[in-house]
Amino acid sequence: MEKKKDEENSFSRWNALSILVAFSVLAVFLVSPSPSGISHEGWLMIGILLMAIILWITTPIPIAVTGFLIMVMQPVVGAAKAEEVFHSFGNQAVFFLIGVFIIAGAVEKHGLHRRIALKFLGRFEKSPRAFTFGIMLASAFLSFIMPAHGVAALLLPIVVSILIAMKAIPRQSNFGKVSMLAIAYGCSIGSLGTPIGGARNALAIGILANEGIRISFLEWMKYSMPVVVMAIPAVWLILQVAFPIEVRDVSDARREIEKQVGEMGSMKRDEWVVSAVLAITAILWIFFSSPEYLGLGVVALLGSALLFFTGSISWEDVEKRVPWGIILLYGGAITLGVGMNSTGAGSWIAGAMLNAAGNNIYLVILSLILFTVLLTNVMSNVGAVATLLPIALGVASEFSEISPLLAAMIVALSGGFAFLLVISTPANAITYSSGYFSTRDLLKAGGVVNVVCMAIIFAVAVIYWRGALGI
Amino acid sequence: MKMFENILLPISSEFYPRNAMERSVFLAEKFGSRIKIIYIIEEKTLEKADKITDVYRTHYEKEETEVEIEHEYLSAADRIIFDDAKEFFEKRGIDFQRKVVKGQFSDAIREEMEREHYDLVLMGFEKGCLLHYRIIDNSYAPIWIESAEKGREIILAVCSNLAPNLKVPEMGEKLSKSLGWELHMIYIVDMQDNVAVDEQGQRSGRKSESELIDAGKEFIREMGNKGIDVKMVKGSIEKETIRAAREVGAGLVIVGREQKRTGIMGIYAKTVRKRLVEKCNYSILLTN
Repeated sequence: MEKKKDEENSFSRWNALSILVAFSVLAVFLVSPSPSGISHEGWLMIGILLMAIILWITTPIPIAVTGFLIMVMQPVVGAAKAEEVFHSFGNQAVFFLIGVFIIAGAVEKHGLHRRIALKFLGRFEKSPRAFTFGIMLASAFLSFIMPAHGVAALLLPIVVSILIAMKAIPRQSNFGKVSMLAIAYGCSIGSLGTPIGGARNALAIGILANEGIRISFLEWMKYSMPVVVMAIPAVWLILQVAFPIEVRDVSDARREIEKQVGEMGSMKRDEWVVSAVLAITAILWIFFSSPEYLGLGVVALLGSALLFFTGSISWEDVEKRVPWGIILLYGGAITLGVGMNSTGAGSWIAGAMLNAAGNNIYLVILSLILFTVLLTNVMSNVGAVATLLPIALGVASEFSEISPLLAAMIVALSGGFAFLLVISTPANAITYSSGYFSTRDLLKAGGVVNVVCMAIIFAVAVIYWRGALGI
Repeated sequence: MKMFENILLPISSEFYPRNAMERSVFLAEKFGSRIKIIYIIEEKTLEKADKITDVYRTHYEKEETEVEIEHEYLSAADRIIFDDAKEFFEKRGIDFQRKVVKGQFSDAIREEMEREHYDLVLMGFEKGCLLHYRIIDNSYAPIWIESAEKGREIILAVCSNLAPNLKVPEMGEKLSKSLGWELHMIYIVDMQDNVAVDEQGQRSGRKSESELIDAGKEFIREMGNKGIDVKMVKGSIEKETIRAAREVGAGLVIVGREQKRTGIMGIYAKTVRKRLVEKCNYSILLTN
C-alpha cells in the first residue's frame, strides 16, 4: 500500500512539474522580446500554443481544462482581448457538435447502433477473414454517423462476447487481435469520412469558416471518402499479414450474433423514429448544409429538436450523454487557431518551417502529414489539429501552391491517424481494455498502418485534391 | 513439509498466461500442491481507458462501458480461463480453488498473500502491458515467472557478489532433486557495482576486483564440498545470466535478492529482477 501511495505522490509531483514547465515556457515568451517578423501578440500566442502542447501531452489536468486555459491566457498575457477570444467560440461548428452529440445520444439510448452493428456483422460471417473485414466496415460505417469513440465502446462488448464464444484466448489468439484492432483502426479511419466522426473535423470546418472558406457536409465527404475507401482494405490487409488468423470456423460467431439479434427482438417504435430522424438529418446535411442554405450547425440542431418533438430523447438523456467537456476543448482549440492566424503567429512558424523544408511542394505536404501524425499519436487529436492547423494555414499563406483548404484537409485527416499507442485515441484505449492485444501489438501494427495511411493521404492530396479537384 | 504446498496463480484481465497454468499442473503433480487461481479485473486498464476518453464521453457513458467490460471480463474468466483450469486440474485430480477480485495486479496478490500463506506465486509476464509487476520486488514467497520459451530440463542457479547466495543454492539443489533436472550454477563477479553483499543482505564498502574474485573462489570451494560445480564469470549480472541461460538452454533460472545499484547518478528505474524478467526468455524463479 505504501508503495502505491508513493506512486500516487510521485504522480502528483509529475503533474505539478508539468504545469510548472508549461507556465514557465509561457512566462519566457511573456518576458522575452519578440523576434523580427512577428508581433508581440503573435509571439505570446506561440507561448500559449507551447503551453497547450505541454499540457495536452502530459495531461496533468483534463484536456478540456487546457482548452479553456487557452481562452483565459490570451487576455491574461495580452495576446488578445477577451471579446475577440469569446467571439470565435460562437462558431456554428460548436453547435454542430452539440447537435451531433444529442443525435448520437438518442442512437445510443435506443440501441440502434447495436442493431446496425449486428446486422453488419451478420453479413460477414462466412469466414474468419471476412468477419474481421465486417468488423472494420461496421466500425467505419458507424463512425460516419456517430462519434468514433462511441462506436468503439459499442462494438467492444459485442465483439468480445463473440470472441469468448469462439474461445479465442486473449493475447494469444491472432483472430482476437485482428478483431480488436479492426475496431480501433476502423473507427479512426471511419471518423475521417464525415464531419460527425471526430471533433477535429468540426474544428477544421470551424477554423476554415473563420478564414471565409465554408465546407458543406457533402463537400467534406467528397474530399475525405477516397482516403477512407483506400485505407480500410489496406489496413485490413496489414492486420491479416501482421497477425495471421488461426481460426478456421466461425459457426460459434454466427450463433452468438444470432443469439444477440434474437435478444434484441424486432425494431421498436423509438428505434424507427430515431432512424427516421437520422435519415432526415443526413439528407439535410447532404443537400442543405452548404452556406447558402442552412449550414451544418442548424441542421444538427434541427435533427436534435425533432428527437425531442417525437419524445425519443429527454433532457435527462442529454445530460447523461452529451460530453460538455469536449465543447470547452473545442472552444479553446478554435480560439487558439483563430488567435494564431490573426496575430500572424501561424505564418511566422510556417515561414520558418518553409525555410528549413525548402520550396518543394511535395516535401511541404509530406512534412505537414508527418508532423500531424506524430503529434496526434502523443496527444488528443483535437489538440494536434488545433496546434497544426493554424501553422498549415500559415504555410498556405506563405506558399502559393498550397491552398488553405488543401492544407486544412491534410492536417484534419492526418489528425485521425492515431494508430500507435494506447493513449493516442479513445478508440485504442477502449479496445485495449479487452485484453486481446498488447501495447507491442499496437505498436507493431500501428507503425505500418501509419506509414501506409500517410502514403495514402499524400497520394490523395497530390493526385485527387490538388490534381483532379484543383483545391 | 512439501516444497510448494500452496501455489498462487494470479491471472490479470490484461494478460492470460496459459503456459503458467500448464506449469502449475506440472508442479502440482510433482509436489502434490494445492492451486488457487485469482482472476484480477485490472483496475488500471479501466482507469486508463477512463482517463483517455475523459473529455469525449460522459461519466454515465463511461460507467455504462465499464459495466459492460467487466461483464465481458467475468465471462472470459468463466468460459476461457476457469474452463481451462477445469480441463487441466480436474482431470488430473489436482485440488484447486478460484476467485475473482477487482484491483491492481500487485496489490491484489499482496492482499491474497496476507490472507493466506503461499509457498509459491506462479505467473506469466508480458512487457506490452500496463501492469507494473511491483510484486516482483516485494513478495515473501518465491515467484516463478513462466516464459513462453521452453528450455531443457536444466536449472541455472545464479549467485554473485551482490546477493547473499543462501537461498539460491538451497533452492537449486532441492528443485534439481525433486524435478530430476540437471543443476548448473554460476557465480558472477559484477564489477559495475563492486561491493560484496553478506548473508544478512548488507552491502560492504567498495572492493577491488581481486577481493571479489577471492570471495567468489571461496564460495565455489564451499559448493564444491557439497558436490556442486560452480563456474565463475565476470560481467554484469543481467548480461551474464541471460548469456548463461541461453548457452545451457535453461528450463529455469534461479535468481536471489540482488542488491545491485547502478544507473545515472545512482538513480535507477528498475531492479535487476525486473530487468532480468524483461530480457530473459527463459522461466525465472525469484527467491527471497
